[in-house]
Amino acid sequence: MSDAAQLDETYHYIISVFVERGQAPHFTEIASNFGVSVEEGKRRLHDLMAARLPNWLFPETDLIASFAPFNNLPTQYRVSVNGEQRWFAQCGLESLAMTWVFPGKLVTVNAPCLDCGEPLRVDILDGVIKRADPSDITFYVDVPIKKWYGNLPFA
Amino acid sequence: MNLFRSREHVKNWSLFEEGTEAGMLSLDDAMRIMSTPRHRNRLSLNYVSTFQDTVPVFAARLLEVTDDSPFWDLRPS
Repeated sequence: MSDAAQLDETYHYIISVFVERGQAPHFTEIASNFGVSVEEGKRRLHDLMAARLPNWLFPETDLIASFAPFNNLPTQYRVSVNGEQRWFAQCGLESLAMTWVFPGKLVTVNAPCLDCGEPLRVDILDGVIKRADPSDITFYVDVPIKKWYGNLPFA
Repeated sequence: MNLFRSREHVKNWSLFEEGTEAGMLSLDDAMRIMSTPRHRNRLSLNYVSTFQDTVPVFAARLLEVTDDSPFWDLRPS
């Protein structure tokens, strides 16, 4: 079982890779980064994903599916940083939190409205919404927050 | 957990559930909820080991933004 320091460094490595390239590392890359065996890299990944953070693996695999605020599978929440689209957000709410992993940079969220398919766009810089188009963009979830951890991918 | 062009679009959505209006937030309120240390500290070197410390601030922000809505209350029933 990983200790707290190992969980911290594994988490920091994974989120840093997401920031850099828009995709999750494989556990073999975790192993290589820390100079440990491939099996140890896989164990570190599974230990972290069991830590009850809003992150999960694709079912029955060792592949990261989602790692808040990022998603490793494309979602409708396309995220651009300083005009370059390379990232996908875990959900509409986490798309707003993208700003905190790109400090000092303009983060743009582009997505379709699920009701009508028309586009919406949000520009955020260091937590400040610079532009919202249309201006009445609304977030919605139909599951009370206490139940989110019961099935995070479907909350 | 989705974004819509307006409240009217949420209510018009085929999967909208009557009785869950409390699940709607303005963009500004959603941004406030996603601006606590739980979200701001994700690049910190000790994020996992301090994660539980961020829960009370996040829980308080949820209630503050939603006027104590039970829908957004993280405290055990």
